[in-house]
Amino acid sequence: MPRYAMAIDLSLCVGCAACAVACKMENQVPPGVFNLWIREREVGAYPDLTVEFRPEQCLHCENPPCVPVCPTGASYQREDGLVLVDPRRCIACGACIAACPYDARYLHPAGYVEKCTFCAHRLERGQAPACVATCPTFCRTFGDLDDPESPVSRALREAGRVDVLRPELGTRPKLFYLNAPSKRGLTQERQVKEVRHD
Amino acid sequence: MTEFYGLPNAGEFWHWTNALHFVLVGLAGGMALLAALLHLKGHEEARRYTLLALLFIALDLFVLWAESPARFRFSHAWLFLSFQPASPIWWGAWGLALGFLASGLLYLGRGPRKPLAWALLLCSLVALAYPGMALAVNAGRPLWNALMAGIFPLTALALTLGVAALLRGVWALYPLRLLLGASLLLAFLYPLTLSPEARGHLWEEGGILYGLILLLGLGVFWRERLAPWAGFLAAAGLRALLAMVGQWQGLGL
Repeated sequence: MPRYAMAIDLSLCVGCAACAVACKMENQVPPGVFNLWIREREVGAYPDLTVEFRPEQCLHCENPPCVPVCPTGASYQREDGLVLVDPRRCIACGACIAACPYDARYLHPAGYVEKCTFCAHRLERGQAPACVATCPTFCRTFGDLDDPESPVSRALREAGRVDVLRPELGTRPKLFYLNAPSKRGLTQERQVKEVRHD
Repeated sequence: MTEFYGLPNAGEFWHWTNALHFVLVGLAGGMALLAALLHLKGHEEARRYTLLALLFIALDLFVLWAESPARFRFSHAWLFLSFQPASPIWWGAWGLALGFLASGLLYLGRGPRKPLAWALLLCSLVALAYPGMALAVNAGRPLWNALMAGIFPLTALALTLGVAALLRGVWALYPLRLLLGASLLLAFLYPLTLSPEARGHLWEEGGILYGLILLLGLGVFWRERLAPWAGFLAAAGLRALLAMVGQWQGLGL
């Protein structure tokens, strides 16, 4: 059984949002909600200025806080590590949205919670997720973490630096950010606030 | 500066209707506890409070269903067709449903009275505990810290005793003052248990209202006619405010 993961090399990402648009198209994500979005941040000041383009989506955490809080079992984790929602069971109570530390989940207008699925329907056909397939800078890799020769394993091995979002929460994300442009790693909103206060 | 293409799904996910539920479920659980205790004591008002428990549980369950965007998909049946002991809401569904059943039987005078009263007591404790837990389990939300697990049961009982005192249950005033006093003490200490940035957010989003609610709560120690209203409104306000302002992810993203 594979253990699916994704890596995004931030030293290559230009924040063009092709992945976000591809996702919208592929998954018919309704207006106003997003499986995938780009966060763009400037940190520092000239001549030490950094811009971080950071695509964000469900990280398909190894230890997903959104799953145990679901009262109906609609939110579940597959053996291959994908965290998915069964809309037939979902009562749209929002417990999983509350539990997700990454804002990855939203209420679909049809009355259930939805999120990035790592394009589970494409994986079944042997295709890569739409965001990976469309990326023009080839900054996204996807594959089986347990296979050392998978694109994601290779990218992780070759990266100068690997980060995940909010590691302190113990969610063990399976979306890895490689080669973050800032020396301090992934930027946080509190850094932006600090700059503003200066 | 932070900019986006698309947006994180960071909007409010629990709205004023959910805040209303947070108040109603406090009343439902509290009334159920009160009814169970009165039955166990053999108090003459037991039947009256059992009816109130029934009404509040039914009202809360109706509001829960009615405000759910999944209401006409009828997926709520899955609450009772699955076993999810790690989910506070699953416990709440069972606590309230079985509490409704137990109080219904007690009200109708069917079945063994003592075991039913004990069952209702157990269900009421579950119903009282679960809303605070439903908030406190979200480790990523800095404002919903472990104190929620204490403030919510306490304010639920204060709400209930406020209603009981309004219904001229003279015995309700002393425990109301005690429990609301404890709630207010916790609520006063609560900002001190937060990180500076979370405290800043609480201050920005609800600071004045939070202060006013605490002040209003002090009214419970004043005149007897004012006390039930002050207790009820302060407890309801505190629950609603915490549920609403806590929907904040912090600054870690």
